[in-house]
Amino acid sequence: MIAPGGKFPSTSSLEALIDALRCLPGVGPKSAQRMTYHLLQRDRAGAERLAQALQTALASLRHCLRCNNFTESEICQRCASSRRDQSLLCIVEMPVDAISMEETHAYQGLYYVLMGRLSPLDGIGPKELAFERLFARATDGLVNEVILATNFTNEGEATAHYLSELLRARGLKVSRIARGLPVGGELEFSDAATVAQALMERRDYG
Amino acid sequence: MAKGRIDGQKAFVLHAHPYSETSLIVDVFSREQGRLPLLARGARRPRSVLRGNLMAFAPLELGWFGTGEVKTLAKAEWLGGISLLTGRCLLLGYYLNELLVKLLPRDDAHPQLFDAYEDALRALSSGAEDAPELRRFEQTLLKELGYGLTLDVDARSGARVVDDREYVFWIERGPVERDDGDDTASVSGKTLLDMVADDYSDARTRFESKGLMRQLIAHHLSGRPLHSRRVFVELQEL
Repeated sequence: MIAPGGKFPSTSSLEALIDALRCLPGVGPKSAQRMTYHLLQRDRAGAERLAQALQTALASLRHCLRCNNFTESEICQRCASSRRDQSLLCIVEMPVDAISMEETHAYQGLYYVLMGRLSPLDGIGPKELAFERLFARATDGLVNEVILATNFTNEGEATAHYLSELLRARGLKVSRIARGLPVGGELEFSDAATVAQALMERRDYG
Repeated sequence: MAKGRIDGQKAFVLHAHPYSETSLIVDVFSREQGRLPLLARGARRPRSVLRGNLMAFAPLELGWFGTGEVKTLAKAEWLGGISLLTGRCLLLGYYLNELLVKLLPRDDAHPQLFDAYEDALRALSSGAEDAPELRRFEQTLLKELGYGLTLDVDARSGARVVDDREYVFWIERGPVERDDGDDTASVSGKTLLDMVADDYSDARTRFESKGLMRQLIAHHLSGRPLHSRRVFVELQEL
């Protein structure tokens, strides 16, 4: 049977798979089609693995009750560790940001992952980010200082500003990671916005 | 030289959303070319020079090329002069951007509105939450959209507005003196006259003009909600 428009015959499960793959960021109809034919024709074992992994992840992963990151147990390994400093809570936008912080090997405290940032034009506000959950976490009595490590974008700044006001009002000490020139950075090769901000946020020295 | 190349345009980024793996579509408002979408290729790559430059609320000089609906961004330089918005002023900045994104049609130059927008941002960057520049921006926006306001004439009687009387604003007509016993929200004649004279030194004028502009803008949005206002209100309630 030839589909309307004279194209190749289409079966509904094929269409469904192409359509399903389009939910991935940056995947349009053409890429989805390419992926589909690749999985079906060239890598059926890989397709099987992908299907399995998706199913398992969806069934077993949830948000850690304490840090909101993905975990298989109620409380993730990091939050359950006795070697982490319970009095420090670092707030980041996304799980990858927590990974970047961990790579510094300079931080021994715990995290809270917002899974986003305030984005007023997209309608992402405190309800969408579940600020109340964060407040409950930060006021557990053990946390002493909250470190705001949201990005230095407008959205990240808006998030940091409101979190700082709201957490301070709940009796917590709040700090923000510093911004300025990168380590090894040279003025000559830095962008003007960064240099301007570094100048504005200069501090006493020596 | 690439086709349709345009350079040296003073502009602001209003909003951006991801496009394909590594690019952005930015909604920009330029002084000479109005509002238009630009494709910023590779702007989401880790080492992209565009990455830090394409921030909202920062004056930029842009260059682009192309003949289609979405042009391709060629160059973005940071002009400086307006420091980054912070706190509540940052949220108000989003409010301005949302108004432009929702109300301003594309590809029409509005240099006066651009200047009013820049003035409003400059006021916000100095921390002025209630600045006259915000009201001027809103008024200019309505005017440029073709809804000029006559504030100093009573729309029913045709008489001049008197400063110690109370007026109710009839949408698309103008101020009408409030009847005795009417309890509709009103503005004083003085507020209306102050707005015409561009004098925002009186706190009552600032307060009432804000309410009036909000009412008029809501009308022109024809029921579409402003996300930035909802988020702002929700944050105040926490």
